[in-house]
Amino acid sequence: MSITRQRLSSSDSLYLAVVLVPIILLIALFIYYPAVDTFGQSLTNRNLRVRRPPKPVGLANYVKLVEDDEFWEVTGRSFKVVIITLPLEMAVAFGIAMLLNQRFPGRSVVRTLTFLPWMLPGVVNGFLWGWLLNGEYGALNGFLYQLGLIDEYQYWLREPEHLIFWITVVQTWTRYAFPTIILLAGLQSIPDDLYDAAKVDGASAMSRVRFITVPLLLPSFGIALVVEFIAAFQIFDVIWTLTAGGSAGGSMNPFTKTLMLYNYELVFRDLRVGLGAALSYIILLMSLAVGLIFVMRVYNQGVQES
Amino acid sequence: MTLGLRGQERLRLALIYVLCAVVLIWALAPIYWVAVSSISTRQELYARPYKIWFPSQPTLESYQTIFTQGAKFRSGGFSPTAHLMGTGLRNSVIISVASAGIVTLMATGAGYAFARMKFRGKNVIFLLIMLMIPLPIWVSLIALFFLMSHLGLVDTLVGLILIFVTLLLPLSVWLMTTFVRDIPSEIQDAARVDGADRWRLVYSIVLPLARPGMVAVFLVGMLTTWNNFLIPLIFSRSDDSQPLTIVLTLFIGQYEVAWEDMSAAAVVTMLPPFLMALFFQRYLVRGLTMGAVK
Repeated sequence: MSITRQRLSSSDSLYLAVVLVPIILLIALFIYYPAVDTFGQSLTNRNLRVRRPPKPVGLANYVKLVEDDEFWEVTGRSFKVVIITLPLEMAVAFGIAMLLNQRFPGRSVVRTLTFLPWMLPGVVNGFLWGWLLNGEYGALNGFLYQLGLIDEYQYWLREPEHLIFWITVVQTWTRYAFPTIILLAGLQSIPDDLYDAAKVDGASAMSRVRFITVPLLLPSFGIALVVEFIAAFQIFDVIWTLTAGGSAGGSMNPFTKTLMLYNYELVFRDLRVGLGAALSYIILLMSLAVGLIFVMRVYNQGVQES
Repeated sequence: MTLGLRGQERLRLALIYVLCAVVLIWALAPIYWVAVSSISTRQELYARPYKIWFPSQPTLESYQTIFTQGAKFRSGGFSPTAHLMGTGLRNSVIISVASAGIVTLMATGAGYAFARMKFRGKNVIFLLIMLMIPLPIWVSLIALFFLMSHLGLVDTLVGLILIFVTLLLPLSVWLMTTFVRDIPSEIQDAARVDGADRWRLVYSIVLPLARPGMVAVFLVGMLTTWNNFLIPLIFSRSDDSQPLTIVLTLFIGQYEVAWEDMSAAAVVTMLPPFLMALFFQRYLVRGLTMGAVK
């Protein structure tokens, strides 16, 4: 049977049409067409607050954003969130993965409970921590006060500089399970012989971690970092309920406005569609480099194995 | 050495369990706190300094309140809100079950095609589906909003389901493709020689064998749809289609703060994902990590 010129039987063609056409239609209509349309709108001055037909303005929206201080402030904040979150998250994940890689009775129960936060809604997680850190009745205050570690209740979420830190903590809490799972799989693929041999050669526990575990885990760290970069860069839900000021329609906290929240504000609150569309394409460009690496991996595994 | 081999093992286990306790406190303390808050009376919860780590008179009053009153803790609160939790719960269930069910069927059919059939344009179509994964959703969302309002699908359950199905497609198709590929092809080839067409082949041979993969795709689809906030934030305008994640944020009022009631709403919102994570975690982990760990 030749692979290249094999004719499809009519029943095969019908099968392919039935399973693939709806998918192609959905993706074309809901993803790719709007993506192109958004780009088109980014070249106009469309603003729903103003009663005038949108005019083409070329790249003026992009220029306006790049020259705007708020854009750089928001971008800087987004990268700050990423830069604090990633090491924090990887440290937590590495520690837990090392622990769960040990053999002990009850391990699977501990593992199941450890991965729970990852599967909860992000808006709930933001609320959970907002309530935990509450300055008047929060559990953290009660706990620390009872231990005698603080003399009076603290308003953990009051200082703008602290807000970013707490956002990264909540993001870490929400997401650490994924890198833990990846690192755990990496750890389990390291053969025991290597450790045994190093032990015979007199390597200490620390140097075994340093010279065997960490280097062999680098690929796992790579996958985890790429995925978590995207997650932290696109952070939205957690901030919304932790600090964004609560109810829909309410004010947005200017100190925790990251790129995604800024984009939401531009398009769906300020109704400056053209400008928001341009911002979404700038965000696309920013995450493209990292995203491409990711899709190449998926693509290589997905199709070329067949 | 005074410690025997047994003593050493005991010490190791003791150390491990201490560390496990630390990890579990980190993972579960916020969840425990909100659960306790939801069954506390206001007097106990608002006591300063807070000393009780389990309510002395646990009560379900807050749950009753959020389902029967509602209005008092909504910011600005004059609109009738007693039904918000109920309709939110209904909408969440409909959206997540329907989206997961539809995407599971579509992904199974397509997964078989990508894994076992040869046809023109296969790689291009597969790549176009997978390219959605790194695409920041905003690029599509802005124009999609205007398209949906043009089609009259804003603030409808159908509109939300269509969007969720689309967003779930790449992961689901990828999972089913790898899953079907791992089913030994000898059985299928034998059936094919016997003259079974694709439909019968998929229905009677692939479907039963692919069931674990389908369950994973369904559960992941349900979980991610239930948890999603951004899509309904943009496409839901009223209680016609608002799911629980949106209702919860409406409850976080700015004027009167009723933490015990909001905690109850948070518990209701996270209960289904919580139970799924407890009982079906194997499937969810496999699906959500996209086979990165196999």
